[in-house]
Amino acid sequence: MKVRYCKMLLPWIYGLGCVIFSYPVFSQEKTITGTVYSSDGERLPGANVIQKGTSNGTLTDAEGNYTLQLIEGADILVFSFIGYVSEEIAVNEQSVIDVRLLSDVMSLSEVVVVGYGTQLKREVTGAVQTVDAQELQDLPVAQVTQKLQGRLAGVQINQTTGKPGQGMSVRIRGQLSVSGGSDPLYVVDGFPITGDIGSINPDEIQEISVLKDAASTALYGSRAANGVVLITTKKGKPGQTNISFTAYAGVQEVPREGRLEMMDAVEFVRFKKEYYEDAGQPVPEIFQDPSQYEGKNNDWYDALLRNAPIQSYSLAISTNREKVSTAIVAGIFDQQGVVLNSEFRRYSLRINTNYDVSDKIRLGFNLAPSYIEDNIPETDGTRGTGILFNALHTWPIMPIYDENGELTRFNRFPAETGNIFAYANWVRSVEEIDNETTEVNLLSNAFIEYEPIEGLVLKSTFNAELYNSKYFFFNPSTATGRINVPLPTTAFSIRENIEDFSWLNENLATYTRSFNDHNLELLVGFTNQKFRRNRTRIQADTYADDRLPTIQGAININRAGTNSGVEEWSLTSVLSRFTYNFKGKYLFTASIRSDGSSRFGADNRWGTFPSASIGWVVSDEDFLKGIEAISFAKLRASYGVTGNNNIGNYTQYALIDNTVNAVFGDNVAPGAVVTSLANNNLGWETTEQFDVGFDLGLFNDRIQFMYDYYKKTTTNLLFNVQIPQESGFGNFNDNIGEIDFWGHEFAITSINTNGKLKWTTNANISFNRNKVISLADGIDRVYGTWHITQTGQPFGQFYGHMADGLYWNEEDLANSPQVPGRSTVGSIKLRDVNGDGIITRGGDNDDRAIIGNPFPDFTYGITNTLRYGDFDLSVVGTGSHGNEVMVRHLYSTTNLDGVFNLMKEVKYRFRSVENPGKGFFGTTVGGGNVTGIERDWMNSRFVTDASFFTIRNVTLGYTIDEPAKFIRSARIYTSIQNLYVFTDYWGGSNPETSMQNNGQGDGGNLSQGVDLSGYPVPRTYTVGVNLNF
Amino acid sequence: MNEMKKSVILFGLTMLTFAGCQDDFLTIVPETSLSSATFFNTEADFQQAVNGVYVPLRNIVNERAWLLGEMHSDNTYYARNILFGATEQQEDIADFAIPSDNGVTTNTHVLNQYRLDYRIIARANQVLSRIDEVAFDANTKNNLKGQALFLRGYAYFELVRYFGSVPLHLTPVETRDEAALPMAPEADVYARIIEDVEEATGLLPPKSAQEPGRATSGAAKTLLANIYIARQKWAQAESLLKEVVQSNEYALMPDYADAFSTNTGNKNNGESVFEVQFKEGPDGLHGNFLYRFMPRPMAPEELVTITGTANPQPLNGEGNNIPTPDIIAAYEDGDLRRDASIDYITIEGSFWADKTYPYIKKYAKTHALHNNHGINWPVYRYSEVLLFLAEALNEQGKAGEAENYLNQVRSRAGLGAAQGDLREAIYRERRVELAFENKRWFDLVRTGRAIEVITEYGNRIKANPLAYYYPEGAAPRGNAFTNISLYYALPAAEADLSPHF
Repeated sequence: MKVRYCKMLLPWIYGLGCVIFSYPVFSQEKTITGTVYSSDGERLPGANVIQKGTSNGTLTDAEGNYTLQLIEGADILVFSFIGYVSEEIAVNEQSVIDVRLLSDVMSLSEVVVVGYGTQLKREVTGAVQTVDAQELQDLPVAQVTQKLQGRLAGVQINQTTGKPGQGMSVRIRGQLSVSGGSDPLYVVDGFPITGDIGSINPDEIQEISVLKDAASTALYGSRAANGVVLITTKKGKPGQTNISFTAYAGVQEVPREGRLEMMDAVEFVRFKKEYYEDAGQPVPEIFQDPSQYEGKNNDWYDALLRNAPIQSYSLAISTNREKVSTAIVAGIFDQQGVVLNSEFRRYSLRINTNYDVSDKIRLGFNLAPSYIEDNIPETDGTRGTGILFNALHTWPIMPIYDENGELTRFNRFPAETGNIFAYANWVRSVEEIDNETTEVNLLSNAFIEYEPIEGLVLKSTFNAELYNSKYFFFNPSTATGRINVPLPTTAFSIRENIEDFSWLNENLATYTRSFNDHNLELLVGFTNQKFRRNRTRIQADTYADDRLPTIQGAININRAGTNSGVEEWSLTSVLSRFTYNFKGKYLFTASIRSDGSSRFGADNRWGTFPSASIGWVVSDEDFLKGIEAISFAKLRASYGVTGNNNIGNYTQYALIDNTVNAVFGDNVAPGAVVTSLANNNLGWETTEQFDVGFDLGLFNDRIQFMYDYYKKTTTNLLFNVQIPQESGFGNFNDNIGEIDFWGHEFAITSINTNGKLKWTTNANISFNRNKVISLADGIDRVYGTWHITQTGQPFGQFYGHMADGLYWNEEDLANSPQVPGRSTVGSIKLRDVNGDGIITRGGDNDDRAIIGNPFPDFTYGITNTLRYGDFDLSVVGTGSHGNEVMVRHLYSTTNLDGVFNLMKEVKYRFRSVENPGKGFFGTTVGGGNVTGIERDWMNSRFVTDASFFTIRNVTLGYTIDEPAKFIRSARIYTSIQNLYVFTDYWGGSNPETSMQNNGQGDGGNLSQGVDLSGYPVPRTYTVGVNLNF
Repeated sequence: MNEMKKSVILFGLTMLTFAGCQDDFLTIVPETSLSSATFFNTEADFQQAVNGVYVPLRNIVNERAWLLGEMHSDNTYYARNILFGATEQQEDIADFAIPSDNGVTTNTHVLNQYRLDYRIIARANQVLSRIDEVAFDANTKNNLKGQALFLRGYAYFELVRYFGSVPLHLTPVETRDEAALPMAPEADVYARIIEDVEEATGLLPPKSAQEPGRATSGAAKTLLANIYIARQKWAQAESLLKEVVQSNEYALMPDYADAFSTNTGNKNNGESVFEVQFKEGPDGLHGNFLYRFMPRPMAPEELVTITGTANPQPLNGEGNNIPTPDIIAAYEDGDLRRDASIDYITIEGSFWADKTYPYIKKYAKTHALHNNHGINWPVYRYSEVLLFLAEALNEQGKAGEAENYLNQVRSRAGLGAAQGDLREAIYRERRVELAFENKRWFDLVRTGRAIEVITEYGNRIKANPLAYYYPEGAAPRGNAFTNISLYYALPAAEADLSPHF
């Protein structure tokens, strides 16, 4: 509540601070020795050590050691190494100078990974942002996408639910689609994976490149429109053997602050008492004396939570012996969830090997198996299906434990108390119901590279991904996750096995040549990829014995829940890129890819995706060379076309469902019906994107600044257009409509101080906007349950009635528009938007309007890293401003009929004309006919600002060089993840929430920003150690 | 350079190889479901497709038809549960308070009835448009075509009576543009369904030669007679109905209660002309309408006395299709059908002072699984054939002959010959004989009595809500009985998508 956003921006201003150095002069000859380390303690061979202002210098040896005889001149040593920030150290009286260089992702001499190759950072003409995984290593989370929160301009990463190992929503430049997928394409070592990025141990990752504009992504053609994330895993480094071990362990908790404040037993009983009194009805005995419940509160939500341990261990070995280099990373990650009985465990291994057969031929093999097991109770969902939601609104007078201290089974009070539902004991629900998944994932690549003549490299790659998951669900007769299921219930089990196999063959030829000042590179290639999924699901019920949840232990196989299926797709592509620059100053890149896809209709099988980009290194021009402060400046512009092929595998076909059976007498007769319409022209979604930006380096690149403006137009949206059902069909899959996206992105990296205290700041801020230009002809709006997507407006806006307080008295009621037959004094007053004198929901006289926007005005992130001597401190913050959330659970948690437990605020409801409360909650009198409007007619009181700034992580570390023999360096650190959330959001603890990823309810892009009280995101305290051997 | 040439050639060749087999590589048809390209090729395909046409009937009679045809009349009402909201969709139908503007309504039951009827029509159209292109046994083909025509005619007959003018789809929709058609005048719809069902009467076998439960020539003739009666074409109706009577395929069950199927037995019995088929079990072929007709909230121990299941669960919400005092009073003294049709249950959790509610008994058959039963739903029974025939004869001035058929029905009910005006007698007889079989609203409309009867009925409820199951202090909503009209407004969700209404 508490902090306005402008305060949150203060760190930005600090970040711009700068420190001035002085240069003492010394003239005595002297020998200096020492060792150069990387910031994580690796010895750096081949680093430059130069006496400033002279040509006197040396390189470090294989162990990173150096010896330098000083000559006359400045008494300052300059240490530098590619990919690290150069450092200047005054010699003074020292004769041994060890130095630890900071890795520098912004370094312009750095090589960055781009699609199908690498490029010098200074020559990149697209919008590409890279993150060195080193910077992310301390964050105690399961998935690399969680670690990226707040690091990238233009990339909104939200944790929509705190389920261990799940729930990340990643949107690059706000891209979204009506019904196609909107997740970016993840490419691991050149292989566009089909599985979950969460199965990869983040410690295997060396570097992440995020491709944002069309010039960077167009080489991925029909899969590129949502942006591309390139992940490069660790490789053996030349000339080194490194062994490192990292581990952390800690505990997670759900902080008290921010939780939804529900009534305790006394408050609830008081509410019930008043409910009957206000209605003029006799108060049931159990509600007559609220004070008798003093000290007898049952906090059902809290009962489901615990403090839970988290731990992670990774061992990495990299060697380089003669012609073979190998990197091996083995990891164990184990996260218990903060909800009882939830856990996520990952065992992973990666072996990357390169073998130089000769000067001209190289081979490479990467193999990365992982094994994941998790158990995640059905915590998230709507009322009745989400256990956490159910627990929130369970009466606090219902006992969790019985007189003997045993967990109760379920609670139901007599009907005259207004308890119309049976409530299971939710503690049993999470503890007794199995909801386990085990996953085996194997990523592998093999390549052969051949350089027949200088400059020409031919490369063939074979990639395969195997994935197998086994899901097991067992609901014993003694528990349920649903409301209103009295126990014992019918026990049932679900088993689902999925086997995926995907392979990719890529054949690339790259020709690089430089002559005079012309540098050019030509890439041509063709690729084939195929995916196949086999799925089997068996649902069985009615168990004789809960202890034997086997298939044969069930009396009944549920036919409707038992099925199998195959999903397949194939993709054939040809691609080419031409890169040219003159003197490294005038830069030009053009690329094209053609994709043929089995997903596209027979009459529309191939799509072509071109792009072009230009860059101009202005700082190389004479007119800027005189300006000392500007060390680098580049202008960039790009244009390109990309596609989104996440349209379903068989959407083009008219499908027959042959399970629509009839009955005649006692006989079941197989029936078949056409369930969808064919579309032979069905194709990809097309996104045209224009981008301009510049990169600026100031004060010898101590401050680096990046800016991009983009404008995208997505057309041919895959749209399951609603058609009149007089046709017998509900929808027709078509490519229609147009959405515009545009935005600004700013990123800055600043080395604020580089003396004894090294302080760097990384910050970014992004402004993303979208607007629906058109939908289908004749259709200007698409409704979700609580959303509308309408032409001329941003996508997926909250839709409902405007709430204008309550009808305060008879006069107010008489003079205001009403819901005929339902509005009473003290009930909610909705706005008569169309001015016809009555309030109507739906139909031609609909009074609903747009009541909120789930999209933020801007999102931002800031990372400060400080290093002083052997201590290091980093603080990561992320924020979002101006987004709203629909607090959907209010339809239960503020239900005025006394059926559920309520938020404390409902105490301040309307009780009489004299006692109207705060005007937010209406009268309880009149039953569902009156209160149903407030509850069921979605209105603007459900919508609230959800701006936030989260201190995502604070880490404090201490490094010791060579603490023991065989240990080159050791670092110990302590870290707090999700330290604090500054927000005015009052609908629960997670303002990033959205039900879109939890597989419940509407879901999808049309229904973003809905809070159904999902799994809370924990605060995590850890201690960790990094050892280098 | 030589090396380079070789590489380029090799590269090019590989590329060509891949390009050559591209079409196969890129054509992937779904392996585990059928697509229309490979379906509708064999007799078995059409057999399955025709079976699929029947399926929406289950949803219609289980979930919608009793709302639109029975609770939308003076025969049944809802039993108000003041704790429950979100019940206005049903209440609006029973209260003749369906909000409608510009001829459309957002009522979800109206929408679903409309869509389910068109689902039958679309599936029948798929069959009828393709069956003649595939050669197979003529008898089988005729039988299948007859069933599809019967079902399409039945669906349109429902639509035309609910809505009047509706779009007339007779061929399958294949593109987006074909999805919406202009409204066809009521007379055109009737002309077409008469043509369809007439053709069906010639194609379908009699009941004795047909698989039990499927449409028969007798069912088609009864349906066609019903259509003629709705159009007041008495002579055509008479001759069709006489064919049904003279076919000797049907007879009244001696005991009225036995006219209705049990959970697993007595299905498609001698009196049954056409009924919607259900089967208890986990395969989704079951009904649960009995549960929808229960007053609520009901405890498991109360429910089990009716259902007899091993796993009774409580029923919440608001009970629907509860017999009104009006229908109970409509039975003459000594009418055996009253106790066979209506029984009483006391529910302690009720807010209604009396706590003892009537409920529909004719479908209350014990079964095994909670909320899942195999009781069939009667669409046409032989007793209705007799009453139709009596009416068709009487309207043509053949009162003597008419009385004979009427009294067959009455005598089975333990009653003597009808007294007084014969037209009134037949009208009254239909009400009690066919109570809760979704006939009442259509009868009120076609006999021109709807407005008057419902207005008086509404006044009775408003004057004495306690008698109509309102708890003390609760009253009919302000909008009750404010929108009594002969047709339902068209569904708004469809109007939003169609340029034609």
